[in-house]
Amino acid sequence: MSSAMTRRDFLKLAGAGVALGATSLIPGCAPTPAPEPTKAPTVAVPTAAAVPTLAKPTGKLSVYSALNETTNNEFVKAFQAANPGVTVEILPLAAAGELQTRIRTEKNSPKCDVFVGGSSEFHDPLGKEGLLEAYRSPSSGLVGDLFKEASGLWTGWYIGVFSFLYNTDRFGKEMANVKKPATWDDLIDPAWKGKIVYPDPVKTGGGYIFIATQVFRFKRDEDKAMEYMKKLHANIGQYAGTSPQAIQLVSQGQFIGAPNWAHDILTAKSQGNPIELLIPEQTATEVGAVSIVKGGPNLAAAKAFVDWVLTKEAGELNVKLSNRYSVRKDVALAAGVPTLDQVKMVDYDRQWATDNKDRLLKKWQAAVGL
Amino acid sequence: MLRISREPSVIFTLAILVGLMLFFIIYPQVQVVLVPGLQGYVDFIVGQTWIKPLINSLQVMALSTTTAVILGFVYAYAMVYSKMPWKPFFRVIGILPLLSPPFVVAASYILLFGPRGLITYYVFGQSPNVLGLGGIWGVQTIAFFPFAYQLIADVLARSDARMEQAARNLGAGPWQVFRTITLPMARPGLAAAILMTAIYILEDFGNPALIGGQFTVLPTQAYGLISGFGDVSSAAAVSTILLLLALVFYIGKIRLEGQRSYVTISGRAGTIPRPPVPQVVNVACFIACLILAGLILMVYGVLFLSALTQTFPANWTFTTRHLDYLNANSLSLRNTLVYGGVAASICSLFAVLLGFLVQRRDWRGKRIVDFIAIMPAAVPGIFFGIGYATAFNQRWLDWLDRGALITISMIFWNIPVGYQAAIAGLQQIDRSLDDAATSLGASSLRAFRDILFPMLDSALLTGFVTAFVRAVTTLSVVIFLFTPGTTVATITIFQLVNDFNWGGATAFTISVVGMAVLVLVTVWVLSGRRVGLQKVQ
Repeated sequence: MSSAMTRRDFLKLAGAGVALGATSLIPGCAPTPAPEPTKAPTVAVPTAAAVPTLAKPTGKLSVYSALNETTNNEFVKAFQAANPGVTVEILPLAAAGELQTRIRTEKNSPKCDVFVGGSSEFHDPLGKEGLLEAYRSPSSGLVGDLFKEASGLWTGWYIGVFSFLYNTDRFGKEMANVKKPATWDDLIDPAWKGKIVYPDPVKTGGGYIFIATQVFRFKRDEDKAMEYMKKLHANIGQYAGTSPQAIQLVSQGQFIGAPNWAHDILTAKSQGNPIELLIPEQTATEVGAVSIVKGGPNLAAAKAFVDWVLTKEAGELNVKLSNRYSVRKDVALAAGVPTLDQVKMVDYDRQWATDNKDRLLKKWQAAVGL
Repeated sequence: MLRISREPSVIFTLAILVGLMLFFIIYPQVQVVLVPGLQGYVDFIVGQTWIKPLINSLQVMALSTTTAVILGFVYAYAMVYSKMPWKPFFRVIGILPLLSPPFVVAASYILLFGPRGLITYYVFGQSPNVLGLGGIWGVQTIAFFPFAYQLIADVLARSDARMEQAARNLGAGPWQVFRTITLPMARPGLAAAILMTAIYILEDFGNPALIGGQFTVLPTQAYGLISGFGDVSSAAAVSTILLLLALVFYIGKIRLEGQRSYVTISGRAGTIPRPPVPQVVNVACFIACLILAGLILMVYGVLFLSALTQTFPANWTFTTRHLDYLNANSLSLRNTLVYGGVAASICSLFAVLLGFLVQRRDWRGKRIVDFIAIMPAAVPGIFFGIGYATAFNQRWLDWLDRGALITISMIFWNIPVGYQAAIAGLQQIDRSLDDAATSLGASSLRAFRDILFPMLDSALLTGFVTAFVRAVTTLSVVIFLFTPGTTVATITIFQLVNDFNWGGATAFTISVVGMAVLVLVTVWVLSGRRVGLQKVQ
């Protein structure tokens, strides 16, 4: 529990830092370093300057990326500008599980230098299996301990928040007298009956994180959590096979609301869909990671890429193009999201959630009768 | 049946074919089967998470196969026997559902028939829960009846018109001819069609993933374990269950086929016209095909609308901005056509030759090779891909071009399609034809080349067409193999869908379908014969 407290404290600090970073963008407002007692200065550390003795890397760099298309394109452009000797070949696959599986199957002859994007749950097992190269970037001091693997097997660089979206057209017309959900408990209001689509927890990471979140929310009283899931089940019109599909269905108006990832909701909204983001309190996060594949073709360039991903520039690009939170305190927020200290997080124990997955899913299936 | 022991050239050919199949089908699959290890299997079986998806899979397979085969038969009968108008139109329409990456088509069913579907809600005011068993059943019926249609039409087209003429001359009515001549003669083809359709439906991932909701089948369970939790071990165990099921079907098929065979005497019919069917049947055929075609066109209409509007269905403003993605991704489009075309050509030739050696010659281990040839159909694409990535991503193979590896994976993943078409075709050609050739001194391979091969052109084309469309539309096989330079269209569409770029995804899908139709029509025209259709006098 103590580690979870630390984590929450960290998030608050991070949030405060993000807020301050945002104000620093306003002209005339002097940049203020975020209050961060335990860590090194929070201003951007130019990575190239941090390793001045190292020659600039050259050659081809193969990046497996779970980021979206525009972020990939901009990342390649910006990184190559900073490292003119390197040509980046990016293999885009917006599905971290597939990339993880690819790296595993390629272990006899690794083709990938850097695995970027996707939550730490997908990087961590690769590290445990000995497939990743430990690397502590000079900038990794900027990243809180909860957001990186201690020996440097993977480093977190963005945060995704699990939240809720609703279709504004249908909500306005059909649920005018229902209040917008502010807590997860608001979702079991009978007014939502049949109007929620929920990513199937058996098949999607997000759907499972939601169940684990409920368990932590009820102080690990699993019976209460299952009681909640059972009531929620009564309101769920359908379970979706993938997380993005749930957003798609709400965007189309097939259903009115869905629990989902905040950044994906904002991305879908930016495509012109009539949807809105809400972040109920006591929610959970994912940590997006970057890692280096052991035995990859170009280690020097891989290290340079990790250094670059941790820069302010990369953080800002990722926020702008993917709507995620940067772990850096000096990166401004995406439009329309609350600061992380405004988001009330649950004490989420990632390791426990992973270890108890099969058991909890089975318990959930029994509880809702699926 | 001829034994091959006297012919070294046949033994040599066979050895090469079997060797290739062992290396490119069995070896990669063994890699996958071994992933969980003994303890992994024990844990998985004890965990019991597979029971529900297994039951679901069998249930949906039974339903979808029944309807898909019935519709496929109706469509094939109409195309081959009736004198209905618009046949070329129906032929192209019938192939459309095969050509689309499934996740886009299933999504357009939801737009049409979902709780706020354009048809269900805005026309009929209904809000059906389309996600689940009902939805999968509907989508799979439409998506897979063309497979059944292809196989059945090929069989019907080659059944002997003279027998039907003779029966009619002897006083049998149209219904009696259908029941006692047409249907029994189609039996081997029908059995093959049912078996193949069942296995494809069992293996289908894309449709249940999009429209299945919480109704989990084995392939979606396997995929979810990988993409949601990175649990390859349990996923491989699920795949092994699918393989075992395929084995059961295979044994069932052998029993079902029995010893009776219906062969035509001259090898191929079509020299005399089929007896005319009653006018009422023509009309009924036309109406049935029209309804099916309408349904398919509606699905594609939705895709067109999405491709040409700002944000479908919220904002119907016309735009061409989604078409920009075609230029940006022309490489993947080109790769798709090249890999798919090469793979389908080699695959159909390989399959016909293999079909000949299995169906016409006698040798030890024939049944096993027969099973290996249809096994890939039961392997979920994702495991075919994982198997390839594991087996062939080795330092000593790094010289091998990835495009070539992708093409090879498409060849062997699609062997069952061409093979089934070849077997069904061979079963209707009288053995005495090629036996006569060999008696007169021709070698087995020469008899094959000069006698059987020319008669098998329609089986060859059926194999080519289905292998091509499967190669063009597969995502899961290539997802572990593609590199930046060898990306394909389905990968691009997958990326666009995951970026919530629905307009771009549909625009790209439409163009892939358009290109593929173009290729197929070209092949039909060049070959001078129409697949699955007799020559009409």
